Formats: sequence, structure tokens, C-alpha cells
Amino acid sequence: MATTPTDYLRQTHHEFLEASEGALASPSLQLILGKLGDTLGKRNRDAWEALPESDAIRQRARNIKDETLAHLAEHLETLEASVVARGGKVHWAADAAEARKIVVGLIQQRGATRVVKSKSMTSEEIHLNPALEAAGIETTETDLGEYIIQLAGHRPSHIVGPALHLSAQEVAEILSKPAGQRLPAEREILAAFARQALRQKFAEAEVGISGANFAIAETGSIVLVTNEGNGRLTCALPKCHIALMGMEKVIPKLADLPYFLKVLARGATGQKLSVYTQIITGPRRAGELDGPEEFHLVILDNGRSRILGSPLRESLFCIRCGACLNACPIYRSVGGHAYGGVYSGPIGAVLTPLYDGLAANHHLPHASSLCGACQAACPVKIQIPQMLVQLREELHHEPGQQSRWESLAYRLWAQSLRRPWLYRLGTWLAARTLGRWKRKSPWLTRLPGKLAGWTAKRDFPAPAAERFRDWWAQEGREEGHDEARSEGQHES
Amino acid sequence: MSRDSFLATVRQAAAAGRAHRVEHVPVPEQTGYIGLRPGEDPAVRLAAEVDAVGGTAFRATDLTAARDLLASWLTEFEVRSALTWEHELLARLGLAQLLAERGIVEHTHRTLVEMPEEARRLSVLACDIGITSCDWAIAETGTLVVCSRPGQERIASLLPPVYFSIVEREQIVPDLIDAIGSLRTTHDPLPSNVTLITGPSKTGDIELELTTGVHGPGKWRVIVVG
Ligand code: SF4
Repeated sequence: MATTPTDYLRQTHHEFLEASEGALASPSLQLILGKLGDTLGKRNRDAWEALPESDAIRQRARNIKDETLAHLAEHLETLEASVVARGGKVHWAADAAEARKIVVGLIQQRGATRVVKSKSMTSEEIHLNPALEAAGIETTETDLGEYIIQLAGHRPSHIVGPALHLSAQEVAEILSKPAGQRLPAEREILAAFARQALRQKFAEAEVGISGANFAIAETGSIVLVTNEGNGRLTCALPKCHIALMGMEKVIPKLADLPYFLKVLARGATGQKLSVYTQIITGPRRAGELDGPEEFHLVILDNGRSRILGSPLRESLFCIRCGACLNACPIYRSVGGHAYGGVYSGPIGAVLTPLYDGLAANHHLPHASSLCGACQAACPVKIQIPQMLVQLREELHHEPGQQSRWESLAYRLWAQSLRRPWLYRLGTWLAARTLGRWKRKSPWLTRLPGKLAGWTAKRDFPAPAAERFRDWWAQEGREEGHDEARSEGQHES
Repeated sequence: MSRDSFLATVRQAAAAGRAHRVEHVPVPEQTGYIGLRPGEDPAVRLAAEVDAVGGTAFRATDLTAARDLLASWLTEFEVRSALTWEHELLARLGLAQLLAERGIVEHTHRTLVEMPEEARRLSVLACDIGITSCDWAIAETGTLVVCSRPGQERIASLLPPVYFSIVEREQIVPDLIDAIGSLRTTHDPLPSNVTLITGPSKTGDIELELTTGVHGPGKWRVIVVG
């Protein structure tokens, strides 16, 4: 599939490798990705360092997630009962199509035509906006980054900073259109324009749509965390609030919440707490002048139950903070769009194959150096590298993904490990053939035949001219003895 | 029907998933509680943290000092209209009188309920400043916890570009865990909206650089009394 430099910003299902080439060739993208490690990445590392017992707190959050998922159905039932008791309505969506139908139906029932949205990755996941537009509902994204990419027609390139891939200059060009005049590439002016344009939308909107960072079963609340305040406006001004949540977002008790809040903002931006954390419990009460009159909670499965029953269930611990993206050397080279899915970075490399099919996304489990930086950054300590390895193994068993050559190579390898004489023969041969290269260069830049695939993207280390076992037999043993002897002398 | 099949699927999956649970490392009950350093003054810490998150905090020894401070801000920002809470601390401060003396239009629950809906909407959107107190203030993070109820609208701390908060020493708790604990024991059911405010409205969406005031108030000042 051919990918031009810009269309992979919009398209899903493209080739990771081709899109990566495009990303690596974009100077403005490289400039911003270069900043990521020193800004968000550094703030996250500093935050873990400054937090006493950060490891134990993250472990606590992890324990709660694990415990909750073990009895997820019961917690969802409790959540439903509490939401209903507070005057809200609960809707169950088994897949994306059902969720879209529920949301569109709720809006049409009210005869509403104008909707404001606060940032929700789950709504991206179910491709809600195209469905709303097809139904003739004017939909405005109100998170600044989402607003910008909605106007540009791009997909989000980062879980928390969806417009991260754009320079101030590009943002100015995009916002100049609705402004009807040329805006300068100055952040304050651009933000002020967005504030004013979006206030208008908030004032007119009949329905507000949000995601949910958490849902609290015992109190029937959803929790929304934002820095800009658009999340607050979304559920303060419109008459109807629809919240969309992945079913794994539920936590049992209000008392569990502080631990997640303490690690979420630190993971995302290094803040102790994000600017606005809302705990929303049902529609407005009697006598209140603001807040929605109707509250709907849409609970989404969309493949989550399949993951919940699988060895990769731990991926459901994810609280979508983006820390693993900022820490990842691959993400910081190619950016979010190359991954093709809604979720990018290390966790995207796990989630996209799980939700969207492994064979269709066969490059993603390999889009990692397995360095472990993602796991170290993660507020719930998700073992992303292990999951990627597991996916690589599953990939190997996918029909259509098996290469006869690869199987043959591994079979030979396995045989030689089982038979010491064969292994010895193999290494002897390698040292005498490929090993000669080493004298010229320690790296092989081109391997022959089927092996050329490896060297297309990286070099292969040349085998040493002398095998370790030969060196050991001749010199190593001697040296070892010398040291032991001299140490012995010192002691006596 | 779809509800029951949804939950049945989840129940089955959760049971199957129990074979793949992750290792639980027990953590002590206190884990996660940070609070204050030994001997630290909560009011001093709160003020320092409000400053650290981009707000501006001022300490006032008593209500009279707080009133003077607030009066000077009203002049500084050339305030003509204010969106305010009805709150016992603001009443003791004499806020209504302070505003009236300066010819500032005060929009509060009492006046807003009298207005037709459209006029109310336009008035609140046009206010120069918002003034509230809070339910609790969290010293360790520089956070105010505001609960919505008639007279204490969510829009007061949200719509105007400038936001002033008045906090008393008695309202300060050391840690987020204390605030959530108090919320749980004092409110059942929870208020329709509880918001933790930690800073002025912020975004890093353009080139990862901090920009304030994109949706909520870009300027946040806090008076800590006592
Ligand atoms: S996997 Fe961990 S670090 Fe990555 S987004 Fe999810 S919670 Fe954050």
C-alpha cells in the first residue's frame, strides 16, 4: 500500500514500516519528537523520583486493577445500580457499532443537532464522530489538541497530546480557516482564538459527550481528568451529558480513587494532580442552576472481554496516561501516526493487534526494542515488553504469517542446540567463513539471500574470527589460573 | 437482553482471566499517603503549592486583611461583574457589600434564579471574575475541592477568565486521601459534581509548551486566611 507523506496522518491500516519512513523524513515532526523525552518524559521520571515510595503506590494501583478485573461483572452491576439510584441511565454496548447507535439514538431522541465533546480516546476507538456527522449532528471537539486535528482531519498522534505532531506554524494555518483571518504562530493568540470560538459552541450545544477516566461502582460516579477545563464545560452547560467508558475503567470504591489520581497525572505530565478532576454523580439535583438534566453512561466491551479472558489481560490495567509513549525510543523516532491504530506507542503496539487483529498489524509487536523503558514509566507497571514478546510468539502461529525459511532456520538452530557436536561444527564453520569479515568490519551490512531482510534496516554483528571455546582452551584458562594464583598469594 | 448477555460474557471472561492474574505484592496500609512534613504549617504549605501550580496565593492574618486584599484586586482587574457563591465564609467576609460599594454587579444564585433562562446564560458568560470558597483545600498538592449545590454553582470557578478563591485554615487538610475520606463520610450520596481544582486552566497541546487560560480561568488567585 503506497503511503504519501501526509495521508498516513489520516488513514488507519497502513504499513508501519512505510509510515515510519515518512515520519523519519519529516523535519518538523522530528523536532517535536526530539523534545518529548526532555519535557514530558523527564517530568514523568522526576515525578517518580520525587514521590516517596512511588513503586509501592504504583503497585497498589496495580493490585486494585487486578482485583477488580477478577470480579468485573459484579463491579459493573454495582456501578449500574448506583448510577440508576442517582438518576442516571446505563447503556450496554457489546461493540463499536452498538455504541455508536446508542449515542446517536440518545441525541436524536432529544431532537438535538449540536454536540460538544471533551477528549475521549474511547470515542476515537469507536469512530463516533463520522457516525454523528452522518446523522447530521454538528460535533465539535473542544480539547484544544482535538479541536485542531478535527479541523485538519488528522487522527490523534498521542494519547494525551493529540496534536503533538503539529508545529505552531501548522496550527496557525489550521486555525486561520475558521478564524477567517491569518493568525500568527503565537501560542497565546491561538489559544485565545480557540477559547472564544469554542465558548460559542459550548453556549449553543444541547448535548455534551465525554469519556471517563474512572467509574466508581459504590457511588455511581464517573471521574474526568482534564487540564484545560473543557471537560468541565462539557458537563456544566449542555442539558444532556453522555459519558462513554470502556468497561475496564470501573474501580470498586471512592477510597480507591486517590491512588489512581496520584499516579495518573504524574505519569501523564509529571503533575501531582491534573488541573481539574471532576467526580460526577448523576444529573443536577433539585435547585441547582447548572449541570445536565440528563446523565447517560454507555459501557463498552468492543473486544475487551476477549482480552480479559486471555493471558494479555494485564493490558486492561492501562489508564491511558501516555507515559510509555514519551519513554519509548521507537515512539520518539516515528511518532504516533505510524502505528496506524487509535492507540499508539508501546501500549498501542499491544492494544491495536488485540482489538484490530494480529495479522493485520503484524509489524506492531516488533516495533519495540524491548528496552523496558515503557514498563518503568507506567503508573500501573504494565509489563509491556513481556506482552510484546507474547504477541510475537502468537504471530508465529498465525496462518499466513509463517515463513518456511524462518521455520527452517529455527529448526536448524534447535537441532544444533540439542547436539553439542553439531553446535561446535556450526560455530567452527561460522568463524572460518563469516568470521573473516570481522577483520575488515565488526558489522555485516548485507547478508545474502533470504537473510537480507534483517540487514535492510540494521547491521548484523559479524561472528568473531576465533570462537570463545578455542580462546578459552588456549588462553582464557591460563589467565584465570594466573589471577586465582596471585590472589591466593596475597592472602597467605 | 443485551445487558444480560453483556454481563454474562464479562462474567465468563473474568473467570477465565483469573488464571492469568498478576502477582500481588502486598503494600502497607499507609502507602500512598504523603501529607505534610513534620512540623509544617498547613497554610504555608498550601500557599506554596498554589504558587507552584501556577496560581498566586496570598496569606491574610484575618478577615479584615483578606477583605482589603480582595478590594485591591477588584480595582486592579477593573472588575464590573462577578459570579459568586453563597457561602458562610464569604458572608462573614462581607463580600456582597464589598462588591456593592464598588458598583460591581454580583450574579449569585439569588439573582440568577430570578432571570429568564436566556438572560441568565448571557449574564454568566459575560462575568469578569468568579469568587468562591471551597469545601476542603489540600495542602500537599495546592488543590481546592469544590462541591456543587444550589448557591454554589460549578460555573463560578469555571466561566470567568479570572478566578479568586478564599480559604480558611480550618478548611485545609494535609493530603488528597484526607479530602476524599471527608467527602465520603460527609456526603451520601455524593454531590452531583465534585471538582478538584489544582491550578489555572492549562494546555500543552501546541508544541508541548505551557499555555494558560484556554477554557477555564487563566488567572487564579487564592487568599489563605489565618
Ligand atoms: S500502558 Fe501504562 S504508561 Fe502506557 S498509557 Fe497505559 S497506563 Fe500509561
